[in-house]
Amino acid sequence: MPILSLQEVSKDYLTDGQPVHALSSISLNVERGEFVAMVGRSGCGKSTLLNLAGAMDFPTSGNVLLDGVATSSLKDSGLTRLHREKIGFIFQSFQLLHTLTVFENVELPLLLAGKSNPREAARERLAWVELDGLGDRYPHQLSGGQMQRVAIARALIHSPSILLADEPTGNLDTTTGGLILELLRRLTREQNTATIMATHSPEAASLANTLVRLRDGRIQEITRR
Amino acid sequence: MTLLVPFYRLMVRPLFREPVRTSLTILAIALGVSVVLAIDLAGGAAAGSFRSSMETLAGDNDLEVVTSGGVPENVVGTLATLPYPIRVSPRIEDYAVIADTKKSLPLIGLDLVAEGSAFAQSESQKPVASQTQDVSEHAFEYLGDADSIWVGSSLGYRAGDRVELLINDQVHSYTVRGVYPDSNGNESAIVMDLAAAQHALARYGRVDRILLKVPETPSPEEWQQRLQAALPAGVEVRPQGTGTNENRRMLAAFRWNLRLLSYISLVVGAFLIYNTISVSVVRRRPEIGIVRALGASKRVILSAFVGEAACFGIAGALVGLPLGRFMATGAVRLMSATVESLYVSSRPGIIELNAGSVFLAFAIGVGVAVASAYSPADEASQVSPVEAMARGRREYDVHVQKARDLWIALALGLAAGAASRAPAIAGKPLLGYLAAILLVVASALAIPAFVEALTSVSSKLLGKLLGIEALLASRSLAASLRRTSVLVGALSTAIAMMTAVGIMVGSFRQTVVVWMEDQLPADLYLRPAGSAAADRHPTLSSGLEEEIAKLPGVAAVDRLRAYEINFENMPATLASADLNVPRVYHNSDFFSGRPKEQVLAELRDSNAVIVSEPFTYKHHLKAGDSLTLSLGETRATFRIADVYYDYSSERGGIFMDRNTMLRYLPDRAPSNLAIYVSPGAQLDVVRTEIEKATTGHRVLMFSNRDLRAEAIRIFDRTFAITYALEAVAVIVAVMGIAGALLALVIDRRRELGLLQFLGAATRQVRKLILVEAGLLGLLANLAGLALGFALSLILIYVINKQSFGWTIRFHWPIEILLGALTVVYAATVFAGLYPAQVAVRLSPVEVVHEE
Repeated sequence: MPILSLQEVSKDYLTDGQPVHALSSISLNVERGEFVAMVGRSGCGKSTLLNLAGAMDFPTSGNVLLDGVATSSLKDSGLTRLHREKIGFIFQSFQLLHTLTVFENVELPLLLAGKSNPREAARERLAWVELDGLGDRYPHQLSGGQMQRVAIARALIHSPSILLADEPTGNLDTTTGGLILELLRRLTREQNTATIMATHSPEAASLANTLVRLRDGRIQEITRR
Repeated sequence: MTLLVPFYRLMVRPLFREPVRTSLTILAIALGVSVVLAIDLAGGAAAGSFRSSMETLAGDNDLEVVTSGGVPENVVGTLATLPYPIRVSPRIEDYAVIADTKKSLPLIGLDLVAEGSAFAQSESQKPVASQTQDVSEHAFEYLGDADSIWVGSSLGYRAGDRVELLINDQVHSYTVRGVYPDSNGNESAIVMDLAAAQHALARYGRVDRILLKVPETPSPEEWQQRLQAALPAGVEVRPQGTGTNENRRMLAAFRWNLRLLSYISLVVGAFLIYNTISVSVVRRRPEIGIVRALGASKRVILSAFVGEAACFGIAGALVGLPLGRFMATGAVRLMSATVESLYVSSRPGIIELNAGSVFLAFAIGVGVAVASAYSPADEASQVSPVEAMARGRREYDVHVQKARDLWIALALGLAAGAASRAPAIAGKPLLGYLAAILLVVASALAIPAFVEALTSVSSKLLGKLLGIEALLASRSLAASLRRTSVLVGALSTAIAMMTAVGIMVGSFRQTVVVWMEDQLPADLYLRPAGSAAADRHPTLSSGLEEEIAKLPGVAAVDRLRAYEINFENMPATLASADLNVPRVYHNSDFFSGRPKEQVLAELRDSNAVIVSEPFTYKHHLKAGDSLTLSLGETRATFRIADVYYDYSSERGGIFMDRNTMLRYLPDRAPSNLAIYVSPGAQLDVVRTEIEKATTGHRVLMFSNRDLRAEAIRIFDRTFAITYALEAVAVIVAVMGIAGALLALVIDRRRELGLLQFLGAATRQVRKLILVEAGLLGLLANLAGLALGFALSLILIYVINKQSFGWTIRFHWPIEILLGALTVVYAATVFAGLYPAQVAVRLSPVEVVHEE
């Protein structure tokens, strides 16, 4: 069973009273261990698709199944549990909390889920992203690449089934961006996680197992390598 | 003018996008403005224009002749026979209560035959429309009748009506012979002939005051000297209305302190304006950068933010004006009651919202808003366009120089300590106020260090105790140190004032309670039912005390007599008691600490007096000094045997043996009786016997316990207005917290949205905001309590002492303080409810991706 299944998913918005078709009839299955890159111009629906996949938003029609469960059918508590157990997010601008140390940022999802003693898990995830020894620093004491590694460690802290990354290298230089992509690919493989990444970068897209090309809210092409 | 369009678009229009926060800020200023306005208007109506009630129908005379205990009637003759063209108007001045309505009014006795002819002459010269409203056809025929009275039109009587008046302890029946216009009750009084008034009051052979109209030349001062030379030594000639000036002087400290209390809300409001404009500056940094890059000068940016504050000030003043007028009505009632019971009989004037009040409202509203916004506005003008645009939205917390501010706070604290030890200036505790202000500023400067220290120490502990939300809340407060400090500063200032006043009032109350234990040694107290106030001492009929003394079960009757006197241009109360009546005392009430029996023994039949603590403070006297009093026709010198603590009135009191008083003022009628019940006699039985014996007299009888309860009731009423002012300051602060939390939610929406991406449930987001509100409340309570304690010491030992001359013993009113602090804390958390609701309604997708 695919970990993520989008079945004839459409998403419409109302902006200033005018309907906007963000996604139209999207169908896509993603398996564990699969590294998916979504490409397309700005406004083509990449971020909307990630939000639907992450159950932060819901389709106007069609179904989004996460591990076989339709996100639209879940109530608030079920959605919160889904976020806590199955989904990890990585953002273009890292979205670290500057008032917390690296350790505390990484631990945050576990603490929000009410788990105690998350330090060991955080230490382990930081080792995965090669940031051992930097746990007590604050975000402003890190480089951009290091901050994104912290964000990846945070996204992995609860061993999610699916990792959603929105332009994870968009704020990084080419070399650092390359290292982050390599890290994501390795972790996807090692942790058997499904990773879906929205990107503008051809280099990033070239590293994925599956390339989904979006245009005007529709899947133009799916290439599996 | 062209700048007004961008000003509107960039500064004013955004305010409408946050209607709740904008309204809260405006309301905070409005409340501050309204409180100051209310106290100003009420002060003007209830205390400021305090004409002595006895100036009613006093006309346009130049001088007055007075003495303690009444001016002998022969002085009128002396004045009338002097070879000077002066008009002499003797008056009896007291109070009467209308039996039906219980309304207390000045009772004025005039020589109506003389005044009537002058009155008739002036009426005939007036146009018909303005002539006296309702005068019976034969009104002037009744001028000299003992049962004729004339009343103010606002009382609603017509000529021919019968009115029963309670005067001292007797009810008398009178006929209304005429009604005069009385300016909506402001000049309302009962007027009767001089002889009738003397008869009703049993004040034979004396008048209370003689008004004199003297020719324009030579000067009134010269006339004063000439006439003084012709009169007995004890009789004083002084400018008419001196009593009003004395009242004003006596009330100055009361009004001054009340007015200063009303400024607390403004101070708290100033903190909040500072915060609002600071948030505005930080949010608009990119806009400032763009506008600067497009050619706006630093001055334009400064003016824009000052202008934004002025808009808040103008709106606040507009709302505050009607609110202040409304509050003034309640304030007048409270202030009048306090003034009447503690100072002087008075008649509140009309509350007038005039151009001056409007100007005051706008001046304080806009003034406070602009002054408190200047610093953040100046910071906005210093923003470099390149930096602002490059860095985009910056965190609110710019930089806080904690260490430097802490040193300044320490220096200010030391300066406050030095200022609190300085004496009063011109009778006002100006340096005491300065000390209080310095402490508030020092506290504001020390708060960033305090907040940081406390949050850094406690955040992990809070996280463990209350969960990750508490850790995040605590870190967030520490990260936004400047914003947090301003909010804690605002709320803690309000709490500190509340605490300080609470401790001061609680200490005062406890001091009074302990003091009263020895002040009321008798079992029952009797006084005339006639109008009583701090300066009114109606008397009991002569002989009544002897009847009571003969009753079975009565061990002794102590006759107390009080007079309203003037001493060195200040009103005071002169009192006497039978010092031969044995009493049992537990504590010393004297500065010297000597036993009461020993001190009172010194007064028996001698020219020795004891004086109250406020009296010594007002007149710079001490035990062993001498004072000279005008009593009747003579001036007599007395030695001050000791000084007694007295919390019953701020007027100042002189106390002597009854026999000594009778030597100078031979009127034997007592003002009050203190009745001692024989051992073994039942109090209720004796009380019933006394009630029977006093049938035909209108008297009020109180037990020892009743009087204490009444004293405490008056005490609590006196401070009701103080509590009201404190409450408004706290409301302003809590509203500020609500507004600031709302701003905080809006500014931190990205973070709050992110938490939901990371798995936070909505209840956790709500809890985060509520914990932040709770932490703000806790920090403010701690800082406020510490500052409040320090301020209470200044209030008790410096400001109160220098203003009123009372020694107050420090006392922690723990229950009241705990109750008040709990309410404030709960209100702070409550203030977080709406912002918390806004936080959970945010769309995480929108707020995380909007940047």
